[in-house]
Amino acid sequence: MTIRREKAERLADEELMPLIGAKDPEAFEVFYDRHGGVAYSLAYRIVGEQAAAEDVTQEAFISLWRSGARFDSTRGSVRSWMLSIVRNRAIDHLRSKAGKAPKLAFDDDSILEQRPAEEMTEELAIEHETADEVRGALGTLPGDQSKVIELAYFGGFSHSEIAQMLGVPLGTVKGRMRLGLEKIRGELAEGLA
Amino acid sequence: MSDAHEKHWENEVAAYALGALEPTEAAELEAHLEECEHCRMALRWLSPAVQALPESVERVKAPRQVRENVMSEVRADAKQSRRAAEGGLLARLRLRQPGSGSLAWRPIAALAAVALAVVAFAGYELGNDDSGGGRAGTPIVVGEAPGVVAEMVPEGEGGTLELENVEQLPDDRVLEAWVQREGEVEPVRALFVPDHEGHASTVVADMDGVEAVMVTTEPKGGSEAPTSEPIVTMPIPE
Repeated sequence: MTIRREKAERLADEELMPLIGAKDPEAFEVFYDRHGGVAYSLAYRIVGEQAAAEDVTQEAFISLWRSGARFDSTRGSVRSWMLSIVRNRAIDHLRSKAGKAPKLAFDDDSILEQRPAEEMTEELAIEHETADEVRGALGTLPGDQSKVIELAYFGGFSHSEIAQMLGVPLGTVKGRMRLGLEKIRGELAEGLA
Repeated sequence: MSDAHEKHWENEVAAYALGALEPTEAAELEAHLEECEHCRMALRWLSPAVQALPESVERVKAPRQVRENVMSEVRADAKQSRRAAEGGLLARLRLRQPGSGSLAWRPIAALAAVALAVVAFAGYELGNDDSGGGRAGTPIVVGEAPGVVAEMVPEGEGGTLELENVEQLPDDRVLEAWVQREGEVEPVRALFVPDHEGHASTVVADMDGVEAVMVTTEPKGGSEAPTSEPIVTMPIPE
């Protein structure tokens, strides 16, 4: 007998992980229902097309199901861990499409402006307060800082690739990354205060 | 460390946190992190900012098909794992009990006197060749039954012990699980409490050689050896 769904729903993610590690599909279903939406949204944000986002999301969750016992709670939340798996798979997808790395000859704004074309629903729009907070923090960053952060995180570009495409020194790119992350971190800390 | 030197490494840390360093640079930074507490702290400080980035994406509804595909594969995988585990244990059982179609419990003298629960070893239909996930139809009664029901759900090398109808505990008491191997009782290092509906469960990671599983109430923090009589004793067939 697997743990009943209503019982699993009362558990925190960290408490679900041992059950998922023990191959409890109902615990995993609860986990998917909690995080499948943001996972797919992230995959779509990175790969920019529905079919690929579906593949990335499915592969990431199956990978997590098979490696659930390997979650290390000292390295962050389960949600962060899961989203890092989705992000890595989505970046791998971009790289495999482009060869070794994503193409450099592009208008980088086209990546930064990638937005899902699917309709938003009300329930999705109110999903997480954190999302607004982080969006707000990103929105307050100077454009040159948010651009390098988004190219690195959502585009999967290395600092040297970003330096090349923006025509600025490597040190400048890294400095912008640091300043931008420090500001986001500061905003998050203020939000918690 | 000079200011310029410090700034250089802080920049490296930020690029590393974003996954933007080349592999050789990342390896170099990781070696530096081993020695530099300042940079380790900088990385710890910045990590939540990076972890928050995916939260900023606009939400889109995942197609229903994604969920169906994922859960279909997960259920098939779980079923396969369950069959493998049950098949293995059933084979062991039959090896010990050739020609026997019923379960013969190993006498456990030390535990028999306190066996008071209705117990079931779920997932097994003894004497039935179909080991494909069927559950025991009738719980096996051991001794008097005051209402506590226990099930051991095999999962891989271990199992999940599920208890029902457990009475609420005082704040300073917890449930602790124990296993018996070769007549010796060992702690499972698993402390748990019943929920308000009387359900309680814990994982026994290693069931190899286990002759019985039992649960006692212990002081908060657990005990090195049982200090009370078991509320449940479950003999495990070899």
